[in-house]
Amino acid sequence: MSDQDNRIEYDLLLIGGSPSNLTLAYEFLKLAKTSSREFSIAILEKSKEFGGHIMSGAVSNPHVLKKIFPNYEELGFPVEAICDDSNVSVLGINKKWDLPSFVYPKSMDKTGYMVLTLSYVTAWLARQVEELAKDVPNVSLDIFTGFSAHSVKIENEKVVGVSVVEEPKSDDDYVFAKFSAFGDKGFISRDVIDHFKLRNNPQIWSVGVKEVWQCNANYSGKVWHTLGYPLLDGTFGGGFVYGMKDNKLTIGLVISLDSQDPNLNPQEKLQEYKKHPWIQGMIKDGKLLKYGAALLPEGGYYSLPSKFYVNGAILLGDALGVLDVKNLAGIDRAMECGHIAAKVIYDAIINDNYHSDALKDYQLKLQDSFVIKEAYNNRYFRYAFQENHDLLGKYLPDIAKSIDKSSPYFGMLKIGFKHPFKSTKDGLRSLALIEGKIDIGPITYKSDSSHIIPDFVKPKYDEPVNYDKQTIYSRPDAVFFASTKYHEGNKHIDEFKAQTCVTCIQKYESLNKTTPCVSDCTAEVHRIDVIDSVKRHGMSLENCIHCRTCEIVCPELNLRVKPTSQGSGPDFQGL
Amino acid sequence: MEKSLNIFVLVKQVPDQGSKAGLNPDGTIDRAKAKRMLNPFDRYALQAAIHTKKQYGGKITAISMGPPPAVEVLLETIEHGVDRCFLLSDRRLAASDTLATAYALYKTVLYAGKFDLIFCGLQTTDGDTAQVGPQLAERLDLPQISYCEWFGLDNDKILAKRIIEGGCQKVVSSLPCLVTVANSYHPLEYKSFKGAWRVQQLQRNPDNLKKIIQTIDLDVIGADPDRCGLKGSPTIVAATEKVGDLGGNCQMHEGKSPHELVKEVLASTNLNELIKA
Repeated sequence: MSDQDNRIEYDLLLIGGSPSNLTLAYEFLKLAKTSSREFSIAILEKSKEFGGHIMSGAVSNPHVLKKIFPNYEELGFPVEAICDDSNVSVLGINKKWDLPSFVYPKSMDKTGYMVLTLSYVTAWLARQVEELAKDVPNVSLDIFTGFSAHSVKIENEKVVGVSVVEEPKSDDDYVFAKFSAFGDKGFISRDVIDHFKLRNNPQIWSVGVKEVWQCNANYSGKVWHTLGYPLLDGTFGGGFVYGMKDNKLTIGLVISLDSQDPNLNPQEKLQEYKKHPWIQGMIKDGKLLKYGAALLPEGGYYSLPSKFYVNGAILLGDALGVLDVKNLAGIDRAMECGHIAAKVIYDAIINDNYHSDALKDYQLKLQDSFVIKEAYNNRYFRYAFQENHDLLGKYLPDIAKSIDKSSPYFGMLKIGFKHPFKSTKDGLRSLALIEGKIDIGPITYKSDSSHIIPDFVKPKYDEPVNYDKQTIYSRPDAVFFASTKYHEGNKHIDEFKAQTCVTCIQKYESLNKTTPCVSDCTAEVHRIDVIDSVKRHGMSLENCIHCRTCEIVCPELNLRVKPTSQGSGPDFQGL
Repeated sequence: MEKSLNIFVLVKQVPDQGSKAGLNPDGTIDRAKAKRMLNPFDRYALQAAIHTKKQYGGKITAISMGPPPAVEVLLETIEHGVDRCFLLSDRRLAASDTLATAYALYKTVLYAGKFDLIFCGLQTTDGDTAQVGPQLAERLDLPQISYCEWFGLDNDKILAKRIIEGGCQKVVSSLPCLVTVANSYHPLEYKSFKGAWRVQQLQRNPDNLKKIIQTIDLDVIGADPDRCGLKGSPTIVAATEKVGDLGGNCQMHEGKSPHELVKEVLASTNLNELIKA
């Protein structure tokens, strides 16, 4: 670490206390322990504590964890449950149909996988890094929780660091590094991707909304992934229910933001999901403990940046977009990124190689790993549903309906009769794409918001009637359970042009709808104010839980969510 | 103002208000058991010192008196931009009242060197006397501005606004001067990155840490032990009475719809009559 000319400079700067970056730090420390050279590492984490701004499902394959921490049990790795009952189910309005295992892809069988609370896992990873650092005196590890990277500093086409204040004025406001590792969810890495023009195909996103409940019965080890109700309007997505220890239950929905519906309201959808008799039975007389929302990069293989590194920086985890929707897996892939990056960066520093080719091996090794290989195999999974809207828009609702009325098999039969030729052809083509059996070459995505149909007519379907109102929460109430803490002065959502919002509001209100930002916000941030008889866009930033959905669904690209200062934001510990 | 100011700020580590501090059998606070924090009133004093440094230039010295763990609050002040610290730590200081504390701090301030401004918080959350700042000014024979909520410096003078009953007073004083900062002053800014960086470097290098945070005792500052601690404290805690848990009997209504809950609350109180009235 040097403080020459007042510049704080590290060998390695990790942006975001993510599983990918913390794995990178841990693996780097292990390597550094064998060396006599001195190293310096810094970790920036925008939350006050590690894990405070991260959430996931999550049911995860522990293979990478076991590789990096063979003694993870001894080290007290926080496992909520080991899955011993994995189900894929289709929900009608009132009934649930558990698919026989030969029907769904093997990747959906989660038996033996770990049910995790990602915030706890992240905090645990950070503790392991801090503990190991005590044993490696030649590495100085500085941890900056409550500090965000606000902008990327690029000198001579090399990433040299990031600013730690919103409006940097002098070198004092930057932290510099020989190598920077971006493990964020796009808050800051998108600037690297944009500057170096790494992405031709846009990233496409889903939003995950999740609640953790204290129940009266034990569902530990039970895992359900569901299709159907309440997503019966053609929107890609599904629900998940994971049983955890101490009678806790995770209930969540993942909803893709390339929906045609401009008024999705994911939080409300989650409440609809909870109205299903099957879930009602589990949460009856239970207690809501926590609520949160986060984005998932879903584009997969064809949304990956053309390069996984640039001069002076690498992209990992969600910054890179390695989440695999078909496998519902991201944590292990993120950790593998960190594992591979550690060795590459370590070698580069050891060899004093700070040129652009120093990081080349990162991409090569990652491409050779299960991370990119499986992403390639599943490259058309998400596209199959975009290409054929009938899969989710027609066939799935038909099956869901038949679950309630007669039998799902009858529903399938009905589809066969209704669309005798088309459904078979559709089925074969889509199945081939989903399974990666045919190659249709590179695909292109449109940005999520461009799928919106402003006058979209929601298909009508019944709703469960016999549910306990006590288990249903309004959006403002839900925010309370995200434990947001706001610090004065944070203006972390930019609205570029006020007039654009005024026009957008007029457009959607004339269609008896509200704007996507207002409806799709997971935390009651966006609102419409009447100021001098003009309807304007307003924001209650103190409610924001940093999911970035508004930015993705804004049809006018008029919003941008930035990292906050002072650790402001939700507290996702427990999600 | 071209000269570099020597700014002192006095801070104290107090039991965390969020945690329940235990009482000793004699009624004093069991400080060892309680979680600790920077006295909330001192946050305004620290902000005043930081403002002065930023606006007029200078160095900030933070001074604290307390047991060794008080070094935690001094590290916190460094995160906010304090340059050097003194921690007066001596067993003989135990059970000091305000008279003895002001004496010990007076000796510490003299030891710490030249100063232009001393900022203190209004009071502490564990003692709540609001006496130490003014007493210290008296001992140092300094002009003092208490309950200050705004100030500016102008040619070796300080112009300040202090809260008085029913309004405020504008005062001017020469420097050096002691200021106790009201909590209507600016809240403490978030720690600086450079400060957070500096603390981590210091913690890694104990020799440097000792240089920046000097721990001193009564002998070093040349204080008379008889005027400190219990011996030097004429105040006697005759008795401590536990008021009991605050809040009286709170009734919790839960487990029903908001509509039913409101009905229930109205029925169980005289709120209905008030509404009708």
